[in-house]
Amino acid sequence: MSGSAPRVHWCDHGRDEPIPILQWGEGTGRQLLVLQPLFEEMNRCRALVAELCRGLAENGLACWLPDLPGTGESRRAIETVGWDDWRSAVEIAARFSGATTSIAIRGGTLLDGGLARRWRFAPATGGSLLNDLRRSALVGGGDPAAFAGYPLAPAFAARLAEQSPADLPHTRTLRLASDDLPGDRHIDAAPLWRRPEPQSDPILASLLAADIREWIAS
Amino acid sequence: MDRTTDTTDDALRAILRDVLGLDEARAAAIRPDTPLFGAMPELDSMAVAGLLTEIEDRLHILVEDDEVDGELLESFGSLARFVRMKKAA
Repeated sequence: MSGSAPRVHWCDHGRDEPIPILQWGEGTGRQLLVLQPLFEEMNRCRALVAELCRGLAENGLACWLPDLPGTGESRRAIETVGWDDWRSAVEIAARFSGATTSIAIRGGTLLDGGLARRWRFAPATGGSLLNDLRRSALVGGGDPAAFAGYPLAPAFAARLAEQSPADLPHTRTLRLASDDLPGDRHIDAAPLWRRPEPQSDPILASLLAADIREWIAS
Repeated sequence: MDRTTDTTDDALRAILRDVLGLDEARAAAIRPDTPLFGAMPELDSMAVAGLLTEIEDRLHILVEDDEVDGELLESFGSLARFVRMKKAA
């Protein structure tokens, strides 16, 4: 492992706050746009996603990881964000990186419809993500409409609730063995996005990286 | 104990193991009278939400907000009874 740190870009697209994008690997070979899980699941999976990107970059696949408006390093406030802002941020990040293939995990799969080819891990519906946020607020003794620390605009929440991963060709889907929905492959691992304490899983990260490499080579 | 009881209990043990990060031995030792919320340190309020969503996703049931109370997670047995009732509904 070289342990190389990612490069930080601020993609300035003139219409809004710039989109922060991390880049692992060089921009000469195949470029991958990485769409991470949404909301709290993003924090819980951050180490896994970084490990996956590092592993892919070491094998010549450059990874570009945007923080969507209102998330991570973005300067936008989440309550001002609409669903179309996220869709256009993904398009902008794809153009900026030159990526035509996406690697999407959990809620990231709700945004990968515009890429030419997509690889998905443990896709989630918007309804299930919203339910989890609402319940987190409820169990924590807060207002369920406040979505546990994510004050989403009502119109955003309404759009998110309708979203499912798009049914498109050129898509490979991996799921956990505990998930009985159809997929191209089911793997035995724990759902890290449910763990309150963020953890990584190096075995899972290298298994996912190997699957992506084989899929891209095929 | 019929087959439904067995499979529901096993599925719930696996969910607790995965969501809370319990090792196999601890998960296998969970019995109907094992206390959950307030007794299991990993099961804080943040974990409760994830646990219930994972139960919904894996066992294809829907848990309503007003069904989430202290009694639901009092013990493994109370949780398993609730899930079996939901699955039968």
